[in-house]
Parts: sequence; structure tokens; C-alpha cells
Amino acid sequence: MAGANNSQDLLRAPLTIEFGFSRTTGPVIGAFLTGLVEQRVLGIKDSTGRIVCPPVEYDSVTGEPITEMVEVGTEGIITSWSWVNTPREGQPVQDPHALALIRLDGADTAMMHVVAADSDEEVATGARVRIRWSAERTGQITDIECFELVEE
Amino acid sequence: MSPDRVAVVGVGQTKYSAIRGDVSMPGLLREAAYRALADAHMTMNDIDAVVVGKAPDFFEGMMMPEPYLAEALGAVGKPLLRVHTAGSVGGSTAIVAASHVESGVHERVLTIGWEQQSVSEAMWALSFPIPFQQQLVAGAGGYFAPFIREYMRRSDAPEDIGILVALKDRLNALKNPYAHLHEPDITYDSVKDSMMLWEPIRYSETCPSSDGAIAMVLANSEAAEASSASSGVPPAWIHGTSMRSEPATASGRDQVSPQAGKDCAADVFSQAGITKPLEQIDVVEMYVPFSWYEPMWLENIGFAEEGSGWKLTENGTTEMTGALPVNCSGGVLSTNPIGASGMIRFGEAALQVRGQAGDHQVDGVKTALGQAYGGAAQFFAMWVLRTEKP
Repeated sequence: MAGANNSQDLLRAPLTIEFGFSRTTGPVIGAFLTGLVEQRVLGIKDSTGRIVCPPVEYDSVTGEPITEMVEVGTEGIITSWSWVNTPREGQPVQDPHALALIRLDGADTAMMHVVAADSDEEVATGARVRIRWSAERTGQITDIECFELVEE
Repeated sequence: MSPDRVAVVGVGQTKYSAIRGDVSMPGLLREAAYRALADAHMTMNDIDAVVVGKAPDFFEGMMMPEPYLAEALGAVGKPLLRVHTAGSVGGSTAIVAASHVESGVHERVLTIGWEQQSVSEAMWALSFPIPFQQQLVAGAGGYFAPFIREYMRRSDAPEDIGILVALKDRLNALKNPYAHLHEPDITYDSVKDSMMLWEPIRYSETCPSSDGAIAMVLANSEAAEASSASSGVPPAWIHGTSMRSEPATASGRDQVSPQAGKDCAADVFSQAGITKPLEQIDVVEMYVPFSWYEPMWLENIGFAEEGSGWKLTENGTTEMTGALPVNCSGGVLSTNPIGASGMIRFGEAALQVRGQAGDHQVDGVKTALGQAYGGAAQFFAMWVLRTEKP
């Protein structure tokens, strides 16, 4: 019997799929992204009174739409982090950096972003960071180029 | 335990349009879902489970809508399931939701179908290269055009039947405030003179690309009667549901009138006790994305002998004033958020039975058929609804 049971004979052919998508952001995420263009960070007040940042459209407890957007600070603290010693192609920063959860002043939840630091010894839970804005801002999360450590 | 009876007690739709730029995808679903709940005089707390259906992942770049949508629907903690059968998904999703009630597992199930075609370009998402699938050349229209040509040859239908279907459906859409296309100036000649896209399918004989969502609340006897007593709107009782499929590429299969479609119709009619569909069914919502599929499905479902479905179009039987109104909502030819389109057929059938179809309501509807098809005309889903409780 020749052929079909020998995996070397079975077809493998290249399949390249490239496809663009354009998603609508809605009134809450859309406002957050628009704020970034203006160097403002918006959170949203949920049913328990917490300020959620980045904001969400629907309350995690009641399931109701929430609409009260609140501006939070551009500085905050690291609540947890992971060190990237050898960045790979396509990662947001090509120097060693931290990926950190950052709770901005005035917010009760944390967002993930890049923290620029010279070494992992400078990064700590509780360390204070501030936003470094991108020069060209287009309403994307990368309008925040990264966070940088604040000397205290 | 005998199966429970199931009824549609709530229908909610968004206004369909080329792009709903003001809402996120979860926001779009929520709009339809909460309108259906309001129609049923229920809240999300009353719902036991949610069954959703959407377009193929590649159309919207979204792989796992279930976890993503639970919070937006206020459905955290409830069973939230996804169904997928290509273009017929809206119909299949409603049937799966109904089966959860019929089986006695749940009393009240919310079902939602949606798509934002504006996210991407479905036509090219259907055009993977060979050898991974048959070459569609240019989306669904390119795929179906040869089968329409073959139908025209077999049936010897006049060449303008497709124009008549398109004109009828687009004029019907003017009576449906939710329809995407509202073209008050459309005429026989404007359809005839529109660009030939995939010969013999003209531009105006082709469905649009739409954003939108539809939701329905399905309930068992007790819950349906309670809902109806509160809302004052009669339930649309389900008298039969059926799904069938067949392989896309099986050699010898008849793509003009697929066996799976015939079997699906025979099954659902058997369940509903229908032996003379043309006489016993008052109104039909069927999936007609390209105009010629009206006569083709009229034959496939069994409303007409093979080769004569086009006569029901030509003699006005399928107009709103005819004996068998087809697609009074304007149909897929006027509104096509693909992942929702099948459920819109099922939901519009429910609206007709509940007497809620507004300006496109047909008087005295007692029995309605909803039909959806998908893939390479290989997935079929149908249900029969009646005012009368089974």
C-alpha cells in the first residue's frame, strides 16, 4: 500500500490569511481612548462606588450600563509586575522592561502597561510610576508610550 | 415525561444599518436582548440560560463571544452557550434555545443572534484559497450564481423573476422600521438597470452588508402564559423545529434544491401536521440573500412543484396581499447581518403570529414558517409557529 498512510506524502500547503478588522468601541471605551489623545485618563464609577480604570461599559455586579466617567491621575503605583529581560520582536519596547499592573491615583483597579526601568532591581510592588505620553496620539492604548518610575 | 410546550414571548431588534458606530459589539447585543426582555415583560433575573449565535469568527475577528459578553448581557453566572452553522446560525440558535425549554432543563431562555458586518468584509472572508476549500472566487454571490443559472435553465423561468423578488422585498422593507435598506424610489427598471455583479445576479438583487442584532425570549407553557397575561400579547407557540445538514462538496448533491432542505421541510411539516403547505401556512420568512432564492426555496420547501416556484412570484402569490406572503419584513435582501439573519426570519415569523409586525403585519396570521439556510446551501433550519397552543 502506498501513499495515504505515509504522512510525508500528505499535502502541506501554505495558507496565509491576512485580514483587517475595524471594531466599534462604544460610548465608554471610546471615551477612554479619546481621552488618551488629550493626555487625560478616564475611569468609570461602578455600583459599589469603585473607580474602574480602564473603564467598563457594564457593571460587574448588577450588569447594568454605567456612565459616570471620572478623570483619574496620570501617576500611580505598581500592584504587581513581571520583568521582560529579552524583548522579542514586536513587543512594545525593545529595551528590557517590566510589564506591570498599575493603579492610577484615584482609581481602584489596575491596568496593564509597560514600565521603563534600567533593571528589575528598580521595580517593586508599591513603586510609584507616571505616564510617558507618546508624541503622536491616535486614540489607542499605545498613546501611553510607557510608564516611568518616579523618584521619591 | 412528555416534552414541554415552548413559545416565543419576546422579540427585540436593533435598527439595522451599514454601521452602528455608536455602540460596541456588547452594546449592540444588549440593545436587542433588553428589548426582547421588555417585550416579554421579564428582566434578566427571570432568564435561566442564554444561547447565542454569531457569524463565523473570521467575519468579526472575535473567537469566544461567550465570556466576553456575559457581563454586557447581565448574564454572569448563567449558562451561556454558542451555536454555529454559518448563515443559518440564527435559526439553529433559536432551535437549540427552544430545545433547552422543550427538554424541561430550563423554563425561560434568552437567545440572541448578531453580526457587525462593518467590522470586516464577509465577502473576502469567504474567499480562502484552494486547496483548503473550494474557490469561491468572490464571496457568496460568486458561489451561488451558477446554481441560480441552473435553476433558470431547469425551470425555464422568465428572466425577470429575480427582479420581481427584489422589487417586492425592498418595497416590503419600507413598511419595516428596523429594515436596513429603505429605498422609496426603487422601481422595476432601477433594479433591472443596476450593475450586474455575478451574472445573473444584479446589485439590487443582492443582500446588503448590515450591522444588527435580534433576540428572543422562549418560555415553557406556564412561563409563556404568565408572560402573555402580563404583556397582553399572545405567545407564538412552536409546533415544529428541524435542522438538517449535508456536506458542501459531496459529489452528486443537488445544489439547486438540496436534499437537506427538502428533508428539513418534510420533518418540520410532519411535526406541525402540515400536508398542504400552500394552504395551511399564512406567512413565510425565508432566507433569500439573492433574489432567485425565493422561487428556488418555494420549490425546495414544497410550496410549489419543481420548476414552478417562479409562478408564485410572478402571479403575486408571495406579495403581502397574496395568498402566501413571503418576507413581509423586506427579508435578507433588505437587511443582512449574517449571524442574525436566520434568527430575524424566525423572529419575524413570531411577530406575525403575535400580531406585532406593525405596517408589515398580514391580517389573521395563524401559522407562520421561518426558514434559514447557510454555508454552501448545506445547513437548513426551520420552525413553524402558531397562535394556537399545541
